[in-house]
Amino acid sequence: MRKLLIILGFITATLAVILAVTPLSKMAFIPAILAFIFGLIALKFSKAKQLSKKSIQLIFLLTIISISLATYKTIFQTSEVGDTQELELRDEESVEDSKEILEDLDLDELDDIE
Amino acid sequence: MQKVFLTLSLLFLLSSFAQNTTIVPGEKLTFTASYNMSGIMTDLAEVKMQTSEVKTSKSTLLRLKCTATTYSKWDSFFKIRDLYESYVSKKTLTPFLYKRDINEGGYYKFMQYKFNHKSKTVKSLKRKKNKKGGFWDENKTLKIGASTKDLVTTLYHIRNLDIHKASIGDSQDFTVLFDNKESSVNVKYIGKESINTNIGSKECYKLSISINGSDILKGSNNNLLWLTADANKIPVYATFKIAIGSGELKIKSATGLKN
Repeated sequence: MRKLLIILGFITATLAVILAVTPLSKMAFIPAILAFIFGLIALKFSKAKQLSKKSIQLIFLLTIISISLATYKTIFQTSEVGDTQELELRDEESVEDSKEILEDLDLDELDDIE
Repeated sequence: MQKVFLTLSLLFLLSSFAQNTTIVPGEKLTFTASYNMSGIMTDLAEVKMQTSEVKTSKSTLLRLKCTATTYSKWDSFFKIRDLYESYVSKKTLTPFLYKRDINEGGYYKFMQYKFNHKSKTVKSLKRKKNKKGGFWDENKTLKIGASTKDLVTTLYHIRNLDIHKASIGDSQDFTVLFDNKESSVNVKYIGKESINTNIGSKECYKLSISINGSDILKGSNNNLLWLTADANKIPVYATFKIAIGSGELKIKSATGLKN
């Protein structure tokens, strides 16, 4: 039981760290909390049987790293638009190209409509 | 019989050439698009809707532009730089030229429609990138209905509807040309609702949108649009549900409005 909990704790804690690094940092809280719970139960078992707690400490360490990183990102990272130069260039080119097309188009019907 | 026919044609003419009372050049609306991931809303992209004037030697047209740009944190994973534009009549919002230039995570596609309302045809151009890095074009001439519009123009047409005259439950169909296919989009007026937005608390018209004969948008009442219940009819909030989840569009700022 203790072994299973430690394995589950490691998997969830690692997942939490990975998610915390990606833009999906908000989602890291779910595996982090799970890892913390697994760690706590495993710690209880270890204390009762007086077994090594090193691996459990590592789970807690990973959990703390992921939670602090995710919290930091949630609070301080604002959503900003990246490099749009290429889009702006395409936009400008498109206007010029459109003007040429519109010159060629039969816009007489515009007067009819209006 | 003749009278009925005359009334019907008049009604049709009024609906298809309804005067533009809402959209002016210089308008700029900015939205934040979020995607729901396991119950957590994650900001994904910034969507902008802008209008400007375009002068040709013969006439002046209104340019309706929509752009979608992913936030920088997503750029290394899935970079989106989409540009949708439509050149329409200033008075009636009738489209003449439509362009869709999308760049999504390395996938590129360009669509162009030249409308000819007299012959009820559209000259379509589809451009894609091939494996060698070059482009290939596909030209087609499509037959369209009298009231067929492109996607961008339809969005602005919805804003130009006389919703204040409509009663709850009223709906209207729009024919939209997308990917060289005509689809019928149904817009239904559900009622009025007050919602809190980034531009203040607004009383809004709540509309439900569905695409007839298509299952892109899931559910009957999951795809909703809130337009402010004033003369500007700004889209302030929208929710949508697709096969791979749900998302929402929230207004961030609105400038250059007519009223």
